[in-house]
Amino acid sequence: MDVDPRSYEQVAIKDNEIHNIVLSYLVHNCYKETVESFVACTGMKQPADCLEDMEKRKRIFHYALEGNALKAIELTEELAHGLLENNKDLHFNLLSLHFIELVCTRKCSTEALEFAQSKLTPFGKVQKYVEKLEDFMALLAYEEPEKSPMFHLLSLDYRQQVVDSLNRAILAHANRPSYAAIERLIQQTTVVRQCLSQDHNKDGLPPFSLKDFLKS
Amino acid sequence: MGGVEDDEPASKRMKLASGELKSLSNGSSLTKTIVGSSRDLMARPLQSEGDDDVVGSKGVIKRVEFVRIIAKALYSLGYKKSSARLEEESGIPLHSSAVNLFMQQILDGNWDESVATLHKIGLKDESIVKSASFLILEQKFFELLDREKIMDALKTLRTEIAYLCINNGRIRELSSCIVSPSLCASVGSSNQDDARMKSRSKLLEELQKLLPPTVIIPERRLEYLVEQALTLQRDACIFHNSMDKEMSLYTDHHCGRDQIPSRTLQILEAHSDEVWFLQFSHNGKYLASSSSDQSAIIWEVDTNGGVSLKHRLSGHQKPVSSVSWSPDDRQLLTCGMEDAIRCWDVSSGECLLVYDKAGLGLISCGWFPDGKWIFSGINDKSICMWDLDGKELECWKGQRTMKISDLEITSDGKQIISMCRETAILLHDREAKIERVIEEDQTITSFSLSRDNRFLLVNLLNQEIHLWNIDGSLKLVSKYKGHKRTRFVIRSCFGGLEQAFIASGSEDSQVYIWHRGSRELIEALPGHSGAVNCVSWNPKNPHILASASDDRTVRIWGLNGLQMKHKGAHSNGIHYCNGGT
Repeated sequence: MDVDPRSYEQVAIKDNEIHNIVLSYLVHNCYKETVESFVACTGMKQPADCLEDMEKRKRIFHYALEGNALKAIELTEELAHGLLENNKDLHFNLLSLHFIELVCTRKCSTEALEFAQSKLTPFGKVQKYVEKLEDFMALLAYEEPEKSPMFHLLSLDYRQQVVDSLNRAILAHANRPSYAAIERLIQQTTVVRQCLSQDHNKDGLPPFSLKDFLKS
Repeated sequence: MGGVEDDEPASKRMKLASGELKSLSNGSSLTKTIVGSSRDLMARPLQSEGDDDVVGSKGVIKRVEFVRIIAKALYSLGYKKSSARLEEESGIPLHSSAVNLFMQQILDGNWDESVATLHKIGLKDESIVKSASFLILEQKFFELLDREKIMDALKTLRTEIAYLCINNGRIRELSSCIVSPSLCASVGSSNQDDARMKSRSKLLEELQKLLPPTVIIPERRLEYLVEQALTLQRDACIFHNSMDKEMSLYTDHHCGRDQIPSRTLQILEAHSDEVWFLQFSHNGKYLASSSSDQSAIIWEVDTNGGVSLKHRLSGHQKPVSSVSWSPDDRQLLTCGMEDAIRCWDVSSGECLLVYDKAGLGLISCGWFPDGKWIFSGINDKSICMWDLDGKELECWKGQRTMKISDLEITSDGKQIISMCRETAILLHDREAKIERVIEEDQTITSFSLSRDNRFLLVNLLNQEIHLWNIDGSLKLVSKYKGHKRTRFVIRSCFGGLEQAFIASGSEDSQVYIWHRGSRELIEALPGHSGAVNCVSWNPKNPHILASASDDRTVRIWGLNGLQMKHKGAHSNGIHYCNGGT
C-alpha cells in the first residue's frame, strides 16, 4: 500500500513552518553565516543570542575534532558550567579524545600513560566504565594502533560521535532543543512507514527506503 | 658416576642384578647387556647397541619411551642421582640438551635467552612456539612491573608481546595492568621474592603442558599409567564389593565371591501372607516390608546386622503393595492396593495420616526430595500431590498415560518417572516441561531408579531386566537374564558398593545377582520356598541384602563365613525371628 501522491496536496503547509525547520537545522549545526543570510532572505526574526551561542559551540567542536580536547573541555565549562560534572559519560568521552590524540601522535611512552593514570583510571571505580577503559588502554600495547583491534577508536567517526553528543548536551543544558526538527521529522517518517509496510507485508512490497522516496 | 672406580660394590650389585634377572621369564635381552659389560660401563659409547627397540612380551612398549618415563618418575620422586645414572647407563637422555637449557633459563629468569632456546628445540608447530613465547614474555612483563620498571614493561608489551599477534584479549588485560595496578591483582602477578620463584616454576609447569610430550615428558606420567591399569583391574573385578580391599601392584586385583552376600543370615517370619514389597531405609537402620496380609512391618537393623521387629503397622483394608521411606527416614508411607496411603511415624509406629481420594484407588506412593510433599499414582491415571497435613496441592494427568503403577522422582526433584503405557515409561521434567519416553518391546512390570539418578532398571514381561541410561539421551545400556518371571510382578534393584550390582527376585524362589558392568550372573541364591517378589540391598552396608517372598518370609542375606552372634542361633547359623520379639 503506497500513499497516492495526490493526497499530499490536501495538506497545507505554511511557509514560516518550513523556515523554522530549516533554521533549526542550521542553528543546531552552527552554520553561522548561512543563518545570517537565510534570516536576511526570508525576513525572519533572528532568535536572541543565536549567533553568539553558535559561534561558541562551533569553536568547541572545532577543537574537539582536531584533537585539542582539553581546550574543548575548558570552553565547555565556560559555556555550560557544571555540565560535564553531571554527565560523566560525556566527560569520559572527551578525556578519551585527548588520550587518543596522544596515542596518535606517538607520545605513548610517558604522556599518554601518565594522562591515563591520572585522568582516566579514576573512572574505573565505576563498573560500567571498566570495559571502555580497557578498550582505550589496549591501544597502548600496539606500536601501530591503527592496526590493532581497537582501530575504530582512532577514527574520525568516533570523534564525530562524541562531538554530536556534546552538542546535544550543551543545547539541552541551555534549555534549547537538542535535536534539529528536521532530524526528528525524518526519523518519525521512517519509523511510521516501516511499521506500515510491516503490517502490509503480505502485499509483497519492498520495505520503506528514504532514499528512494526522496528520488521519486 | 661410581661404575668402574670401585670394583667390589659394582660386581656385587652386578651379581644381584643378574640373579634376579635370570628368574624373569622375559628378561633375556636385559641379562645379556648387563652381564656382558660390567667393566665397560664408562667406556661404552652413549648409544647402546644390541638393545631391542621394544620391551615387554607384546612388543608394544618402546624402550626409549619406557626409560624416559622411568627417569622422569625417578626425578619426580627426588632420586636425581639415580635418574642421571639411568640416563647415562641407558644412553637415553630424559630431555635433549636444548630442553634442559630451556628449563634452566626459565627458572633463572633469562627470558630473552629462553625464547631463543625455544626456537632451537625444534618444534614443528609454529603456534606452540608462539604460545610458549607469549607465556614467557608475559612472565617477563610481570616481573618488570613488579620491580616498577614500567617503561620497560610497556616496551616489552609493545615490541615483543604484541608482535606475536596472538591473544589480543590477553594483551588488553596486560595494558590495563600497566595503567592500573588494581586491575593487576585480579589478572595475577607476583609480589615478593618467594612468590616470584614460585611463579617461575608454575610457568615451567604450564610450558611443560604446552609443549608436546615427546619434547618434555609430562609430569607423573608413570603414576598415571599405573593408576589406569589399577582402575581397569578394579572395573574387571566382578565381585568387587568392599571398600577396604586395597590394591597392590604385586598381583592383579580381583575379589573373591566371598564379597557378595550369599548366605541366609536370618529368616523373618512375621507376616501371615505373601510378602510383596520391602525396602531398607536410606540410613540402612530400618527395613520395611509389606504384605498381602494387609499389614506392613518396620524392622530394626542393629549394629551387628541383626534384624528385629520394631512395629507392626495395621490399618489397611487391602493388601499393602508398596512402602516408601521419607528422605529423613522418620516417616514411612504404605500404600494399599488400589486403596489409600497411610503415613506412619517410624519411632512410635503411630499412623499419622491417611491419604485417600473418594471413589478412587491409590496405586503407588513416594516422597519429594525435600520431604515436604508426597505424591501418588491414582487408578484414574492421574498423579496427585499432597502436603504433610493432608492437603491436596496438585493433580495432573500425564498426556498419554494409560496406566499408572510405579512412580519415582529423582533426588533433585526435577523429573517424575512413571508408566505411561504398558510398554513405555514417561520421564516428565517438571522444570523444563519436557517429556521423554522409554519405549520397550515388551510389557513393563516394574522399574527402579539408581541413586545417582542416571540409570533406570526396567523389569520386563519376557524375563529380561533392562538397564537404561536416562542422563542426557535415553539409551539402553545392558540386559540381564536368567531369572524367572511369568505371572507376577517381580522387582529388581541396584545395590552393593557404588551400586555395582543388580539384584532381582524370581518366580523360581531364588534371589539373582548380576555384576552390573559385565552383566555376568554371579549368584542365584536358593532358600525361599515361594516366588521372591522383591529384593532390597542395604544402602549403607553392601554386604547385606533382604528378600521378600510368597512363602510369607523375609530373608536377610549376608556374607558367607559371617557368624551371627545372636542368642538362640541354630547350629546351621540361620537365625529365625518371629513376630513376638
